[in-house]
Amino acid sequence: MNFGMGFKLSHLQSMLLFALLISIAFGFLSRRRPIDRAKYIVWSLFLFLLIGVGIGWAMYPFSR
Amino acid sequence: MADETAALAAPPQDSRRETIAFVIGVAGWLVPGLGHVLMKMWGRAVACFLTVGILVILGTAMRGNVFSSSGSDAFDSLGYLADLGTGAFYFVARSLETKGPDVSHAGGDYGTRFLATAGVLNLLAALHAYEAARGRKA
Repeated sequence: MNFGMGFKLSHLQSMLLFALLISIAFGFLSRRRPIDRAKYIVWSLFLFLLIGVGIGWAMYPFSR
Repeated sequence: MADETAALAAPPQDSRRETIAFVIGVAGWLVPGLGHVLMKMWGRAVACFLTVGILVILGTAMRGNVFSSSGSDAFDSLGYLADLGTGAFYFVARSLETKGPDVSHAGGDYGTRFLATAGVLNLLAALHAYEAARGRKA
């Protein structure tokens, strides 16, 4: 990873990575059993993406 | 009167537990996951360390803004507080940030958010470890 040049990610890749990492952290912090954690991570990730893409589409008419 | 006396004279065990919980919370803030390590919550400790660490490294690599104490406005100060939430990783981010931030592109802006989120997430994890040490939740 080249720290000087900058690490390039697209908007979607950044959002996916962000949502995945935060969902994992939330799942581990808020649930104790592995199956519950997995369910929570998947559900949280789905909601992150749904709301992110939804807000993106809602802003589209005002973007230009 | 008797109730007041009973409330003021807290059992020494509770006082000791509060102190230990406070130390665990501070440890969790200084080193992400350390609070959970002290509570022997290994999975949560690894998850906290890795997520906060990855967010900090990615945020720095994307040339996000690592705020310093010499901020000029309220947003800089809030960003500094959020970045400080990463504890020791703040100094890692400062040492990795060799060419300064570049928020003229979306990547740098995302990087700034990654760094701030890492800090707030670590504060949440430290608070979780503190509450678990007090016996409030696990």
